[in-house]
Amino acid sequence: MERGLIGIIQRASRKTRFKAGLALSSLILILAVVALYIVPFPQDALGYVPRNVEARRLLPPSGDFLFGTDHLGRDLFSRVIMGARTALIQVLTVTIISLLLGIIVGVTAAYFRGLIETLLNYFVEVFMPLPAVVIALVLRLALGSGIHVVILALVSTWWAWYARITYVYARGIVELDYVVLAKLVGLSNIKVISRHVVLNIIQPLVVQAITDMGGVLLEAASINFLGLGLEPGSPEWGVMLYEALFYAGGVEAVVKAPWLVVFPGLFLLLTILGFSLLGDCLREEIDPRLRRRWRLWF
Amino acid sequence: MVLAIKAENLKVGFLLEEEVLWAVKGVDLAVEEGTTLCIIGESGCGKSTLASAIAGTLPPYAVTSGKLRIYDRVLINGDVRNYNGVRGRITAYIPQNPGTSLNPFMTIEDHFYYVLKSIFGINRKDSRRIAIEALSRVDLDSSILEKYPHELSGGMQQRVLIALALSTNAKILIADEPTSSIDAYLKFQVVKLIGKLQRELNKTLIVITHDLVTTSTICDDIAIMYAGRIVELGGREDIVLNPRHPYTKMLLEVSPIPGIRKPLKHISGEPPNLGVEITGCPFYERCPYRIEICKQEPQIWEIGEQHTSSCWRAREAPWL
Amino acid sequence: MTISLNYLLRRLALAFFIVIGVIVFSYTLILATPGDPAVKWAGRPRGPGAEKAIELARRELGLDKPIYIQVVLFIYNFFTGNLGHSIAYKGQPVFDLVVMRFMSTLELTLLAYIISIPVAFNLGLQSALKRGSNLDNLIQSVSVVLASTPSYWLAILLLLFTLMISTSLGISMPVYGTVSPKLEVETGFELITGSYLLDSLIQGNILIFVDALLRMILPAIAISLYPIGALTRLTRILVAESLLEDYVKASIALGVKREILIKHFVLRSITPSFIQVAGLSFTYSLIDAMIVESIFGRRGLGDLLISALYSADFKIAVTLLALLAVFYVVVNTVVDILQAIIDPRVRL
Repeated sequence: MERGLIGIIQRASRKTRFKAGLALSSLILILAVVALYIVPFPQDALGYVPRNVEARRLLPPSGDFLFGTDHLGRDLFSRVIMGARTALIQVLTVTIISLLLGIIVGVTAAYFRGLIETLLNYFVEVFMPLPAVVIALVLRLALGSGIHVVILALVSTWWAWYARITYVYARGIVELDYVVLAKLVGLSNIKVISRHVVLNIIQPLVVQAITDMGGVLLEAASINFLGLGLEPGSPEWGVMLYEALFYAGGVEAVVKAPWLVVFPGLFLLLTILGFSLLGDCLREEIDPRLRRRWRLWF
Repeated sequence: MVLAIKAENLKVGFLLEEEVLWAVKGVDLAVEEGTTLCIIGESGCGKSTLASAIAGTLPPYAVTSGKLRIYDRVLINGDVRNYNGVRGRITAYIPQNPGTSLNPFMTIEDHFYYVLKSIFGINRKDSRRIAIEALSRVDLDSSILEKYPHELSGGMQQRVLIALALSTNAKILIADEPTSSIDAYLKFQVVKLIGKLQRELNKTLIVITHDLVTTSTICDDIAIMYAGRIVELGGREDIVLNPRHPYTKMLLEVSPIPGIRKPLKHISGEPPNLGVEITGCPFYERCPYRIEICKQEPQIWEIGEQHTSSCWRAREAPWL
Repeated sequence: MTISLNYLLRRLALAFFIVIGVIVFSYTLILATPGDPAVKWAGRPRGPGAEKAIELARRELGLDKPIYIQVVLFIYNFFTGNLGHSIAYKGQPVFDLVVMRFMSTLELTLLAYIISIPVAFNLGLQSALKRGSNLDNLIQSVSVVLASTPSYWLAILLLLFTLMISTSLGISMPVYGTVSPKLEVETGFELITGSYLLDSLIQGNILIFVDALLRMILPAIAISLYPIGALTRLTRILVAESLLEDYVKASIALGVKREILIKHFVLRSITPSFIQVAGLSFTYSLIDAMIVESIFGRRGLGDLLISALYSADFKIAVTLLALLAVFYVVVNTVVDILQAIIDPRVRL
């Protein structure tokens, strides 16, 4: 049985949940990439209000408008599909930046020990309890709305999470003999770190990041749902929910036009689900404890 | 003569990744009530699996064939296993790792209570009484009862496990590697204790071990296991003084016997891996006495009274 | 099962320093973000009185003093609940306001957890016992979907659904808001702690109690989705692992009955880890509750947040941040200590 990434993917791919997760995630990924080109009403997707607003408002789903139209007459289908793009942009940016920051801090703390370790760990402990949504509020008040609020708020909490995980993994590795030997032999610290420490922890970290992407998306959408991040009109699922509730005329209006909330939320759910399933299956393959899959004594 | 345990061509395997790996490849046993049988062999020879089959701790992914009977109860018949009412009542198992075999979240008294409550349905007061009595048989004080497992030493933990097995009043005790996690100077003590208890309480005792020397002092009969088969079976004296299988002979040679100065040899090579299909005698690769006919599957030959061996050269025994 | 005083003190000291760190960070946000801190703190006032408001803010924060004094002053103010008056809610002291609303959100989240924990535990247990069966697969799939569902989306759907039913039936169902305003006035109900259930009980006001409870049901359901999903999966893994332990195998070999094994062996071994994870995710659910509250128009941290947004109330924002983070640290510390007490293996 192969141990490496290929082996893990091979074994995970036997499970239906993996296939489902992969299917969902790939679908969203593809949609994100081609959204601009395939969407029937690109202007609507980007937030521009069509000229014949009155005729077009709040139309139920039909042949022309697959998901109906919103309170400003924009085609919801186009907006929702475009939303995949925004979702992925937010998630990938946040995850990559947080991972980088987290790995640097975690590895440094584990490798250099001593005062640096204590100091960095303290920072991690201080940032972990901070709720991203409230940081977003503070940032929104100070910086105005925009995607930067979302990204900054999320990075400022997630980096600590990855820093801690990296630290724990890296601690295990730096005590290993071959790392100690490499240091003794005189390899420069950077070389030792990059070659031995980081390579070993990348795999479980990536799997963790994939599992977390669902949570990141959920938080990002929450921030946008509260009107703290992207402006109304942006093709983002959270924003669309926000607009439905607060701009379209409240709950009473939504009762008559449920498609406004059903479709954005559904896509949100499916995307989160896709990432979670994928990450879960991969994690089961990596974690030796969960590998045994037989029935129990009873 | 009542047979406590009878096995007929018993085979036990494990279903892993759609393949069956056989650990016990056809074992015949007949253990008289009130006697002690030591099953001896290296790691991976299948002795623990055999013990599990008797004790009822086979996992659900196990595959069996042949027959296993305890008194008049059929435990294993083909791939059908039924241990209802046997575990704890007729058989009692003394596990191998005392450290992990006790529930860290419970006091020792709790351990006795839940076992005795399951078997006899008694209350705490009575179970405490039985526990104290069982503990005293293994030289443990009743103050042990309030302690948690991690507060006890390894030796004490093991004696608690023995006491637990005794408290069930089961007629058959199965001790899995009782000397493995014991320091050398204590091995004899534990073995003596187990032997004493067996005699006092007239239990049928099965000891699984790789330690020929210490355990042979309490055995009535010895079964030598290799690669899933019993290669020699007989009374203690027969086996030790008149070994009729080269593997037995080697085990004796490599074991230090207190009081006798002799050079310690070592057996080269390793036993075959579990599940590997072997034709002919399993010991062929490592046997210094092998001949052409050994490539054929050996049968079980009777050498003397209650003494069998599956070596083609058992009768001539050039190693004696 | 006692822990040493040493451990307790160390843990509390650690928690204390983290709390200080969090408060300092919150203050840093006031200073480090673009704009004059005093202006931000005063809520970007305009028109007459703006000058005075900004001056007041400057004095409140002690911005004329050296920075370390500012930090200490801020920490002191936080612990004494003295953070000035809210801009969004004219004149009300910020700290008291935030705490009162916090209680309301807290009771909602607690209700959600009271629902979630037994459900998750049972599902997880059944799933682990029948591992590999169809039931297990179903429960696993359902949990993952539950944990992936945005609670605010479900909240909207639930609200829509009930509104549709109530309009078609022509009745009005108590789902919106925290209490019926009419009832509040009629029975002379007053908020003391901020927790509606508690306060109504204190005042012996059963009508309000029932009314408040009814209105909590739908939001609590929405909030409980994530904990149910996550805790079910956790329980399943914990139970499956504990059943593979050597001591379980040894107990089975000695004839211990299945019911006893589950109730006493499995339960005891999974409780510490279960409590720990439940505690960690509680604050997460609290934030979730904030968002769900705003959908149901409830009076709690949720609409506090919205008000702060509209009125540029920096004070509420920063206080909220610090309070929630401190709460997280407190809950974690309590859970850690609890776990150390319960788990006899932890030798301290």
